Amino acid sequence: MAGLVEMVSVCFGGVALAQTGYPAEMHRLTLDHYMVVSAVMFAIGLIGFLTRRNLIIMFLCTELMFQASGIALVALGRYHLDFTGQTFVIFVLTVAAAEAAMALALVVLLFRRRESLDAEEWSELNG
Amino acid sequence: MMERVTYLYPEIALFITTCIVMIVGLSRELKHRKLCAPISGLGLLAAGVLATGLVPGFHVATGAEVDPTAGQILLPNLVPYAKVLVAGVGILLLLLQAGTVDRVEEARIASGRAAFNPLRSNRAEYYAFFLFSLTGLMLCASADDLIWLFLALELTSLPTYIMVTMSTSRHSSQEAGVKYFFLGALGAAVFLYGFTLLYGATGSTNLNQIHHAIAAGGLSGLSLAGMLLALLGVCFKIAAVPMHFYTADVYQGAASSVSAFLAFVPKTAGFIAILLLASCAGWTHGAGDSLPDALRTVLWVIAALTMTVGNVLAIWQNSVKRILAYSSIAHSGYMLVGVVAGPGGGTFATSGIAAVLFYLLCYGVMNIGTFGVLACLEGRAGADGEPAEIESLDDLRGLCQRHPVLGWTMVICTLSLLGLPPLLGFFGKVPLFTSAISAGEIPLVVVLGLNSAIAAFYYLRIVGSCLLEKPETTTGIVRVTPFGSRPAGALASAAGVIVLAIFGNGFMAASEKAAAYDGGHVEKKEPRAAGVPETAPQALGPAKAEGH
Repeated sequence: MAGLVEMVSVCFGGVALAQTGYPAEMHRLTLDHYMVVSAVMFAIGLIGFLTRRNLIIMFLCTELMFQASGIALVALGRYHLDFTGQTFVIFVLTVAAAEAAMALALVVLLFRRRESLDAEEWSELNG
Repeated sequence: MMERVTYLYPEIALFITTCIVMIVGLSRELKHRKLCAPISGLGLLAAGVLATGLVPGFHVATGAEVDPTAGQILLPNLVPYAKVLVAGVGILLLLLQAGTVDRVEEARIASGRAAFNPLRSNRAEYYAFFLFSLTGLMLCASADDLIWLFLALELTSLPTYIMVTMSTSRHSSQEAGVKYFFLGALGAAVFLYGFTLLYGATGSTNLNQIHHAIAAGGLSGLSLAGMLLALLGVCFKIAAVPMHFYTADVYQGAASSVSAFLAFVPKTAGFIAILLLASCAGWTHGAGDSLPDALRTVLWVIAALTMTVGNVLAIWQNSVKRILAYSSIAHSGYMLVGVVAGPGGGTFATSGIAAVLFYLLCYGVMNIGTFGVLACLEGRAGADGEPAEIESLDDLRGLCQRHPVLGWTMVICTLSLLGLPPLLGFFGKVPLFTSAISAGEIPLVVVLGLNSAIAAFYYLRIVGSCLLEKPETTTGIVRVTPFGSRPAGALASAAGVIVLAIFGNGFMAASEKAAAYDGGHVEKKEPRAAGVPETAPQALGPAKAEGH
C-alpha cells in the first residue's frame, strides 16, 4: 500500500492517491502501467487499421483504439481523483456503440453487393 | 443552469424540427411527405433567429473569477456568429437537397406501380440526418468541455457517413460512404486519444481550466502529445494533409448535393474545434500572443502542405467534382494560415481568427454555388432509373450558351473561389494575407500567394469550359434537374458571392467581434470593402433572404 503511493509519487510528481487498499499482489500497479497498456492498444489498433484489408478487422481496430482511450481515461480519472474520466468513458462507449451499429450496417450492405469483405474489391473511385 | 439552456435554444429548435421531420416524412400522403424540406427550412430559420438573440458575453466573468460551469469562455463571442452562419448556410444547403433520395421510389409510387412502404422510404431519415449534423455543428461552437466537443464532433460526422452512402443507389456512393466512415472512425479515435492525454496532463476536461493549467505550467510533454493528436484527428474533418486521402473519392462518389454539404459542415466543425484547442494551448486573447513553438511549427507545416498538395493534385484531375474536392483541401490550407497567424492585434486586418471565421462564410457560399450547379445538371437515367451525376469537364462545355443562368453561376462562383478581386473570395482571402503578414509569417504568406497562382490554372479551366468552349454536338445528354429549388440554391449562392462582396462589412465586423474575447472590440477600424458600412451584423443578408 505504501509502495503504491510511493510509486505514483515518483512517477507523477508527488500526488498521492487518496484511496488505498488494493489486494496485495496488485499493489505495484501504477498509472504508468495503465498508460502503457492503453498506448500499446492504440498502436496495435493503428497498425492493424493500416495493414489489414478486411473491413470487419479494420473496424475492430478502430474499436481497439477507442477502448485504448477508455482504459486511459478510467486510470487517469482514478489518478486525478475525480469522476470526469469515468463520465467521459461512458460517453465514449455510447459513441462507440453507435459507430459499431453503423459499421455493421455498412458492411452488410457491401457484402450483399459484392459478396466480399476485402477493401481492395472496392476501388471504383480512383483518379 | 437555466442560463445554459437559454444558450442552447437554437439547438433545441433544430432538435424539435428533427423529430417532427422524422414523423412527417413517413406519412402515406405525398403532400405531407413533401413538407419535410419546408419544415427543415423553418427550423433552421428559427434556429438562426434564436441565435441572433443569444447574448454573447453573459458568461464572461469580471476579473479573475471565472465560473467554469458558465458556458464557453475561451471564445465567448464565437457562439452567436457561428450559429447564425450555420443556420444561414444550412438553408442554402437545404435548397440543394431536394430530390436527393427516394426519387425513383416516389416516381414508382406516383405511377401506381408501387404502394408507399415506410420501410423503403428514406426521406424522413435523410432530412433528419441533415438536421442532426447541423445541430452537432452548432453544439461544436458552444463547446466548453472536451467531452462536449467530442460528442458534438461525432454528432456532426456520424450522420454524414450515412448521407453519403444513401445519396445515390450507385456502387460508388457506397464505396465512398465506407471509405468516409472508416477514415472518419480512425480520425475520431485519434482525436479522442488526444483529448484523453490532455485530460491526463491537465486534470480537467473543461477547456477553460485546461487553458489555465497550460498557461500556469506550460505545455508539458504529455499535453503537447495530446494537443498534437487532437489536431491530427481534427485534420480529418477539415481534410488537411495527413488525413486528406479520402476527400476526392468521397466527394466524387457522393451526390453533388451531399458533396456540397461535406465541403462545409465537417470543415466548419473542424475549424471551430481547432480554434478552441489552439485557444486552450496559448492564445491569450487580443494580446497578440502566438502558439507554443512546437504547435505553431506543426500547424505551419500542415498549412503549407495542405495548400500545396490540394492545388497541385487538382491540376491533374478531369472530373469537376474531384477538382472541387482538391480545391476544398487547398482552401483548408488557406484557412490554417489564419490559425497560424493567431489573434494578432484583434482588429479585422490583424486577427487570424476573424479571418478564418469570415473565410468560412465566404467558402461556404461560393462552394455551394459550384456544387449547386453540378447538382442542377443530370445525365441520362441508368438502369435503375436514377439519372447519372455530372462529373467530367466535358459535360460543362458551353454551359453559358446552353443554360446561361447556371453557366454564369458556375463562372462567378469559380472565379470567387479563385479569389478574383471584386468577388467575395478576394475579400475573404485578403484578411488571411494581412493577418499572416502582421504576425510576421512572411514565408507562409509567400506559399499562400504561390498557391493562389497555381489554383488559377484549374479554376480557369472550369471557367474556360463553361464560357469559351462550344457546346458539344451531342447536347441533350445533359439536362437540367426537375427540382426547382436546386437552381434557386445555386443562384442564391452566386447572388451571395456578389452581394456579400459589396455589403460584406457587417459580416466582417461580426467576425471581428466573434474573434474578440471581451464582448466586442472597442477600436475603430477602416472600412475594407466598398459599400454601405451599416449592415446589421447578424442579419442573414440579402443572399439568404432570396433563398426561400
